[in-house]
Amino acid sequence: MKNRKISDEKLNRVIKYLSIAFLGFGILFIAIQFSDFWTWILNAIKSAIVPVILAYFTSLIVFPIIKYLEKKGVGPRLFSLGLVFILSVALIFAGFYYLAPRIVQEITDFFNRDFQTIVIYIETDLRDDFILGKDLYDQIYAYISETDLISSTLDSAVPSIISALTSSFIPTLAAIALLPILLIYYLMDYEMISERIRSIIPKKQEKALAELGSRLNQTVGAYLRGQVFLMIVLGTVATIVYRLIGLKYYVVFGVLVGITNIIPYFGMIIAAVPPIIYTFIATTGPGPALVFLVNVVLQFFEGNIFQPLIIGHHLSMHPIVIIVSILFFGSLFGAVGVIFASPMAASIRVFYNFIREGRKAKLKESQAGANSP
Amino acid sequence: MIKRDKPKIYSQFEISIITFYASMIFFLPIVLVFTYLFEIDKALNINTFMFWVLIANAITMVLGTLYLMIKKDYLKRSVKATYRLEFFYLLFLVVFGMLGFVVIYDYLGGDRAYIANIMIVIFSILAYLVIYFGRRYFKFDYMKKK
Repeated sequence: MKNRKISDEKLNRVIKYLSIAFLGFGILFIAIQFSDFWTWILNAIKSAIVPVILAYFTSLIVFPIIKYLEKKGVGPRLFSLGLVFILSVALIFAGFYYLAPRIVQEITDFFNRDFQTIVIYIETDLRDDFILGKDLYDQIYAYISETDLISSTLDSAVPSIISALTSSFIPTLAAIALLPILLIYYLMDYEMISERIRSIIPKKQEKALAELGSRLNQTVGAYLRGQVFLMIVLGTVATIVYRLIGLKYYVVFGVLVGITNIIPYFGMIIAAVPPIIYTFIATTGPGPALVFLVNVVLQFFEGNIFQPLIIGHHLSMHPIVIIVSILFFGSLFGAVGVIFASPMAASIRVFYNFIREGRKAKLKESQAGANSP
Repeated sequence: MIKRDKPKIYSQFEISIITFYASMIFFLPIVLVFTYLFEIDKALNINTFMFWVLIANAITMVLGTLYLMIKKDYLKRSVKATYRLEFFYLLFLVVFGMLGFVVIYDYLGGDRAYIANIMIVIFSILAYLVIYFGRRYFKFDYMKKK
């Protein structure tokens, strides 16, 4: 039998990695003992970093427009930035000015007219339409009435929702208020800030890390720009189509399509559920089959034509990878994780490809060095 | 002699002709989509509005044709491998144009019960045309997997 010996070099490497792992676990263990302190520190970092990250993401959408304007001779930077800023604020304001009263009106109409019909339907007609049989319906209804399930769930859920909303309200408001200011400074000195960040990186890795940064910027930027555009277009198209087929509350349902479209694959399904349920219950307007068909066509358009065309091949990942990344990042970071799951997964892929390419290049170099006389 | 199946590359002129006339065809429907979306139709007489939009459409078409004829030589010399942006523009024209045709049907008092059927027919025709134009002229075959 062949006796394979481990070389000193290999042994040293194993000892080094084991020491790092043990040291890491040790640090982690000590850190866990002071979890309150770390939570305090992390909250402070979070409140500072969230507006900065938001400004960075927004800059990825806005900066190409400024660059384009400068290329066309609209300058200096302050002028092009001001132009884009005023136009963006005007557009957002106009959007709110047009949408907000309509949405409020439709929601008020719903609670004044249709909500009572829905309650009556659940109490009376649903028994006849219940798919699992009337007996089971009676049992469920009796259980709910006896145990006060709904009121007890509401009693426990409402205060926690209110406290969660109020605790996140002030930081969110602060982030939104800070965003334009941060964005202006960031975009004004975009090149200088990039240069400063570059100067921190050691000279040896500067070129490689700059390349990685540019690739990540390109990927996340393409995703964000495409996604915002898709949200607006699909929201508009859905609103028009819903109005055309005679669906009530078409603005609310259309806006819902636009907003939920930020979540790949699940978004359109989430947006399709409320109008379909509504058409099941409503006595007038289109049937659920038509609303379902409209949503299927929109999903087809979005998934097969617009998304590959607008977002491009930067994010051309298999649907399973995207779905798994949504589940993973969603459970890790909540709603933000669900929204940014695709660019996060794409960034990981960019990172992995970058390391692989670097290794390949190194291997090629070492082979060329060994072959040279 | 072996005949080579060489794909013809179209210049910016042909592409501009397609996008310009597509814009002109869909001009009225697209304007009407936005009047429908922002409910401007409730504030003005839509027949008069459509008449003035058609007049503006005709004027733009004449001016645009003249401009294309003047720039013909310059545009003929400019060639790209794929016309991605132009195709992107055409696709959006088609999507909103399709909706616009249905809006016109609604404005002209058509029965709303048939809107889904009309949309499916228009969608099928336009989808075929877009894929055909994309493949042949814009060299952009988005149905093909990379």
